[in-house]
Amino acid sequence: MSASTPATPPKTRPPSVLAGDLRFLVLTALALAIFPFLLHVVGGYGGLATQICILSIAAIGFNLLLGYAGMLSYGHAMFYGGGGYLAAILLMRAMPAHPNLWLAVLGATLATALLALAVGAVTVRLYGIYFALLTLAFAQMVFFIVEQGGEITGGDDGLQSFPSALMPIGPWNVDLSAALPPVGLGPFGTVGDLKLWYVFAALVLLLVLWFTRALTRSQFGEVLGAIRENEERSLFVGFNAASYRLAAFAISGALTGFAGALRALYDGTVAVDSLGIDRSGSFVIYTIVGGVQTLFGPVVGTAVIVYLENVLSGVTSWWRLIEGLIFVAAIVFLPSGIVGTLGGKAWSGRRALLTGLRPRSSGSRSDETLRAAQPIAQVGVAAPAASAVPAPGDLPGENA
Amino acid sequence: MESLIQALLNGLVLGLIYVAIAVGLTIVFGTLRLVNFAHGAFYAIGAYVGLVLAGQYGLVAAFVAAPIAVAAFAVVLDRLVLRFFYEKDATSQLLLTFGIALVVEESLRLIFGGTTQRYPVPDALAGSFPLGPIAYPAYRLAFALGIVVMLVVVWLIIERTNYGLIVRAGIRDRIMVQLLGGNIRRASTIVFALGAAIAGLVGAAASPIYSVNPNVGFSFLVPSFVVVVVGGLGSFWGAVLGGLLIGELQSVTTVVFAPASNVVIYLCMALVLLLRPQGLLGESEVIRQS
Repeated sequence: MSASTPATPPKTRPPSVLAGDLRFLVLTALALAIFPFLLHVVGGYGGLATQICILSIAAIGFNLLLGYAGMLSYGHAMFYGGGGYLAAILLMRAMPAHPNLWLAVLGATLATALLALAVGAVTVRLYGIYFALLTLAFAQMVFFIVEQGGEITGGDDGLQSFPSALMPIGPWNVDLSAALPPVGLGPFGTVGDLKLWYVFAALVLLLVLWFTRALTRSQFGEVLGAIRENEERSLFVGFNAASYRLAAFAISGALTGFAGALRALYDGTVAVDSLGIDRSGSFVIYTIVGGVQTLFGPVVGTAVIVYLENVLSGVTSWWRLIEGLIFVAAIVFLPSGIVGTLGGKAWSGRRALLTGLRPRSSGSRSDETLRAAQPIAQVGVAAPAASAVPAPGDLPGENA
Repeated sequence: MESLIQALLNGLVLGLIYVAIAVGLTIVFGTLRLVNFAHGAFYAIGAYVGLVLAGQYGLVAAFVAAPIAVAAFAVVLDRLVLRFFYEKDATSQLLLTFGIALVVEESLRLIFGGTTQRYPVPDALAGSFPLGPIAYPAYRLAFALGIVVMLVVVWLIIERTNYGLIVRAGIRDRIMVQLLGGNIRRASTIVFALGAAIAGLVGAAASPIYSVNPNVGFSFLVPSFVVVVVGGLGSFWGAVLGGLLIGELQSVTTVVFAPASNVVIYLCMALVLLLRPQGLLGESEVIRQS
């Protein structure tokens, strides 16, 4: 165990959780506050920052599954597009007179969580190619069902003319499409380029990051990592791996659906593309380029790819090829992504991909977790005392 | 009745394409333990090589050149990138080969444009062939026959040659083959090139039937993966059975209830994965190793 290189040595953590959280929130909020103005300097436009924030949330949801649970889904577009369609349909059918953004987003998120639970109940017992293909299959089913959905889903045309949602906060109805005050910032553009949407999207992203940070540091996150590293051993200790994987799938799907709902309300349209294979693939690309298994990786990856897409696609038809090359280069040369490499975690991240996302080696932090953590769920076996767990190597590895 | 026979024949042709692609996928998985999402790219490259050559030098030249070009590309790809990922888990392989497939697709789009193209059926096979109550395009029949012949050749290579022996032994126990002195590395490269060549040849030969565009790789790859999973990853006869089943299912559903034709194959895969996760003819040990 002493030979391991923990990603975050416990000693460097701040003594107080609150202080750590506060510092995290303040620094992230500052970064999000200056982000659109930095984007302006390199040629981005106001709406791009909002799109990046919303897509980041979907990528964070995807990374929760790939990075922390080690499950590669090629079907996350079913949650992203599904969330968008559900929000739009809720606005059109359930509350045409009083469009309420909170209710539309909440309803869509809950519904995608249920969809993820249903799909997950079938898929989480499969691994690798089987899991990837079955999620892809479900996404394709959803895609074709929506495409054939007639009046309810708008078929090929998607849905356009749904009422733009108002956001009641107390007695006020906030209109998110209002522009911010026109304050000039010299080379950084003007604040007025941004709509209120950006403030909302950035705040939501901040909360999602906070939630994800807490989740991955919680016992749930640690157990998930343990299952990813060695499911057989975690089963022996008494964790019900399938229900952890299902929970991860549901949370991941709900986050992605939440992002899809926001995007639909922001755009004012939903199209069948949002359910397609390319969309599922884009979350894979954002996450890998930014840094799998890192908190900020999906955000940075989304920002880089979406920015390049918007800037380069206007200049050259080579854009999609460049995107593919960046992705392949990231997998081969930078397996821990931009954030993983810059963040000084290159060693542990590279090891994770060199040995696979579910490494065969023992001695990681998650293995320690297995020894330290008390089982929450038990699979019909009495939980053994921590000391009774055999040393690594005594148990047959599942990949042997 | 006529339309049903028509649909069954169409399903046979489509199914044989799936079989050919799936056989490549499955023997590559069996020997290299490589889950190759870029296999559809081989089909697409073959189709475009065929498109270029058929216009200038005729169909025969296209059918000879396409598999050779694709096999050469596959070997280069294997030596440059893929071999570093043999020992990794399926997830990393999926990510890498997905990226390669994207790069190939976009390269084809840049070189040949994004439009859908097809080349005409050669004059000798342009007519129809009377087949009971219906007349069926002669080229499609010749195509189906050609694929069957090709599959027999592939089966003979796997079952009757020394390379095939090493390949089949490698599927069972890779390490033991190496201990016994079998050159599994060379056999693996040959298998990879063979799988790619099959896809390339089918890509070229199918272009007069199904038109060609840069997306064509993915649009055949995904159903072929469904075929592999339904038939059983690593099983030759599983690929054959699964391919014919999926092809017919898709084709007949188009006639019976067209809106469901795209959903039904995924439904079929989901059912198979739930009831018999190793696939119809797969061995139960394979699923755990991926």
